[in-house]
Amino acid sequence: MTGLVRAAYAGLRARRGRTALAALGIAAAALVVGTGTTVSYGLATGFERAARQADLPDVIARFDHRSLASVDERVRALPNLAGRSYRREFLGQRLAANGHETDQGAIDILVRGERRGYAIVRGRDLSGADGEVVVERGLADAWDLAPGSLIEFNRGGRLRVVGIAVSPDNVAYPLARAARVYVDVRQIGRGTDWFSRPNVALLWLRDRSRADITLAQARAVSYGLEDLRLLTRTGIQVLLGQAAGIVLALLSAFSLVALLGAGTMLAAGAQADVQRRLPALGVQRALGFTPGRIAALQATEAALVAVPAAAIGLAAGALAVAGPAADLLAALNEQPPGGALVLPLAGCLAGVVAVVCAAATWPAWRAARRPPAEILRGGDVAPARFGGGGRGGLVALGARFALARRGRWAASVATVAACAGIVLLMLGLASLLERLRDDPGTVGKRYQLTARLDPSLVPAVERIPGVDAATPRYAVDASDAFRLGEPLRLVAYPGDHTAFEAPPLAAGRRVRGPGEAEVGLGLADALGLRPGSTMAAQLPSGGELRFKVVGVVRALEREGRLAWVRPDRLLADDPGLTPSLAIRLRPGADRARVDAALSALGAPPQAVGGATTSNAAFLGVLAAVLRGVGLAVGLVCLYALVQALAVTTRERRGAVALLRACGADSASVARLLAGAALAVALPAAVLAVVLERVAFAPLVASLAAGYAELPLGAAPGQVLLVVAGLGVLAALATALVARRAGREPIIAGLREE
Amino acid sequence: MALVQARGLVRTFGAGRAARRVLDGADLDVERGEIVAVLGRSGTGKSTLLHLLGGLDRPEAGTVQVAGEQVTGASERRLSALRRRHLGFVFQFFHLLPELSGEANVLLAASVRGAHPDAAARGRALVDRLGLRPVAGTLPAQLSGGEQQRFAIARALVNDPAVVLADEPTGNLDAEAGAEVLRLLRGVADEGRALVVVTHDPAATAIADRVLSLVDGRLVADADAEGRLTSHAPEGRLWARDP
Repeated sequence: MTGLVRAAYAGLRARRGRTALAALGIAAAALVVGTGTTVSYGLATGFERAARQADLPDVIARFDHRSLASVDERVRALPNLAGRSYRREFLGQRLAANGHETDQGAIDILVRGERRGYAIVRGRDLSGADGEVVVERGLADAWDLAPGSLIEFNRGGRLRVVGIAVSPDNVAYPLARAARVYVDVRQIGRGTDWFSRPNVALLWLRDRSRADITLAQARAVSYGLEDLRLLTRTGIQVLLGQAAGIVLALLSAFSLVALLGAGTMLAAGAQADVQRRLPALGVQRALGFTPGRIAALQATEAALVAVPAAAIGLAAGALAVAGPAADLLAALNEQPPGGALVLPLAGCLAGVVAVVCAAATWPAWRAARRPPAEILRGGDVAPARFGGGGRGGLVALGARFALARRGRWAASVATVAACAGIVLLMLGLASLLERLRDDPGTVGKRYQLTARLDPSLVPAVERIPGVDAATPRYAVDASDAFRLGEPLRLVAYPGDHTAFEAPPLAAGRRVRGPGEAEVGLGLADALGLRPGSTMAAQLPSGGELRFKVVGVVRALEREGRLAWVRPDRLLADDPGLTPSLAIRLRPGADRARVDAALSALGAPPQAVGGATTSNAAFLGVLAAVLRGVGLAVGLVCLYALVQALAVTTRERRGAVALLRACGADSASVARLLAGAALAVALPAAVLAVVLERVAFAPLVASLAAGYAELPLGAAPGQVLLVVAGLGVLAALATALVARRAGREPIIAGLREE
Repeated sequence: MALVQARGLVRTFGAGRAARRVLDGADLDVERGEIVAVLGRSGTGKSTLLHLLGGLDRPEAGTVQVAGEQVTGASERRLSALRRRHLGFVFQFFHLLPELSGEANVLLAASVRGAHPDAAARGRALVDRLGLRPVAGTLPAQLSGGEQQRFAIARALVNDPAVVLADEPTGNLDAEAGAEVLRLLRGVADEGRALVVVTHDPAATAIADRVLSLVDGRLVADADAEGRLTSHAPEGRLWARDP
């Protein structure tokens, strides 16, 4: 065994340049696998890790506040119950600190129960002493709060932050609208039982798999509890996992592509190496070496290179995305894996080394099993099946060299195309995320400004240079009249709303009359609505309006809990309802001038954001992760091109040497190799665009189709960028390989030919 | 001045105890129109001498000049230009690219950057002149050894070099084809080029103006002072060519 390792080591030392190139390729592939694994593993396991750390309850029950005794009596009777805690939750509270403030504060008063359902990640938990508050990590990060900071609530009391907590029952502020803080009832509820009337019960079960029995019983004993909503730990995981699922699927897919690509290229390299060394293999076999011994030597050589190279690549990949991945997990209120990541990375190391060893050993094993005489005869490169004309000069000759090995050429093209297609997809996704953040048009909004102006001013607004059209837009927050707990927003336009707001239609048709409604997918799911159903909306005035659902649309805003109607019935119920004006601008309109003109009319306009303006930071992080991953995949492209060229050059070193003997300088050799690089890069560029258009983008869009219709697809500029990038990578690969080829002694190549 | 001038060439292979000095102060002058045949046993450094003359390898000591240009110490770029302008190589195994036709192989040398503008036309003319037109479009695998070597000679002459270096040009040919190739090489020299032919083939010496042997790393004349045959020479032939 030691002799085998020693022989393998000596072989590698003798081929240092090739060894370094192979190591570089393995490291590049491992880098991509490392980035993919770090993000995927973090996202896949983040919830469970955070839930365990936070002791997340198995069931969270929300209801209208009741006396503690009354609620506890019912809860205690539930089967399978291991523990319980109660909270009083106040939403829509004002919180302020460090120059920040929000009216969307959620104050959770811990009424009873030792189990908290959150994990303290900094500072300490509430002690029951006066003036203490624990804040959620998202709020602490956004407002720069730390233990010791002061936080003001409801323009009155000031509380000192004693701890920072994480609870994965929701995404973090500001991704979640509510900024959550926790206080102890002993400090806030003295002298009154008002604060001791819980509206949230946290339940821990003995056997989580039997939660359905507990939930059924809970519904059975909920008589008298109004607006009961039950949320299970599994339900939370599914909700949070939906968004992460797309990212997970993508990362896994391109990690696999990178690994397979690297494996293919390494196998091609090994094949060429074996081809070159056939006479030596033949001699070894003639001297009595078994095929197993020869293959074992090859495997040992491969392992000696693969283990350190893959370890370095994996570590670099993990470190490169550790920061963005941690930010992503923090936004989801989840915890980074920390040391737990070592095990999957070790698994990846084993996987990469196995792929490399298999790819490198198989050609040697296959060759060594042939009779020695046949091996000794088979050292020459077989001529390609082309016409013998020499048209096109050295560039064409290089292309013919690359095309001579059809299988390897196809593998190289497929690898580069898959990588470039994924880069295109990443760029397209990143742009889409930014458009979702910034561009209202992405979510079907066709107006850019709103202004609180009287509808009678519509003609005046439309006369402003740069304004294309304006119309009154009514928005009323209501709730479902059948299930009062379900909030919804009614949006009304006097005419065809699609001129100003046209979320994609998923089913049915557009609204044509006053009694009709188009509902968002989220609302349709929540209320079980479909075209033909009746939607009953309870208005703030107390009135109830009924609409016939004629269409279901894909709307991202407010989780799709919207309905588009005509304003007639809304105005009949509340004649004092005031709209804002939705203003559509002409392309290239001077925004400053329009703003000034609208201000002169009496109301400064407000810019309309995308669906997720409040989640800008999250989307920014996600876009950065995707672009980073795209860059890593680009490196794999470079490696694939370098490897393809290096293998061709290695195989045709005799031809290169002959050219140099004929007086070809480094530029001529570079032209020859450029031809070989273009023979791979050009079809790969075309295939990449086709793959992205036909396979990748539709696949990702279909993954997201449950939530929204994503206009996914790389822009022409991005296609140009990737094609130009491939050109640059081809030039870079050519320069690298030509430099090496130029250093090789001519006579060594001639001897081989 | 000689077209090829080598002085004190030293080249050693291996290191330490395994070191073997194959050239140890070799000198050589080849004039325009002259063919010099270099004889020697295998491993005596004949091909190494050719590689040093052609700038394919670098000596440890000594100098080489070709057509008045310094070969030793020249940069790789300079050497490329020198090979392109002044040198042509003919190899034992022809080194024709298997995917190109015979004529395309000839024209390959015309496609390198800096090749003479008329190189392609000259290449086509050479194919005609060497009687290769009928097989110009044939792949090397379907050509005879003699035809392959004639295409290789045409390739060596495409850039109209002043010096042709031939390494065992008949080593892979039968007697008839070898004789045809030697006749061609004689013609090449008669056009005013200098030829250095490294060979085992006694017949090759017949076309040479001078025959040298590599002995202990040095080039020595294979004829005695009076121009009489030495023990290496075939019977009844004088090595020195008649004026």
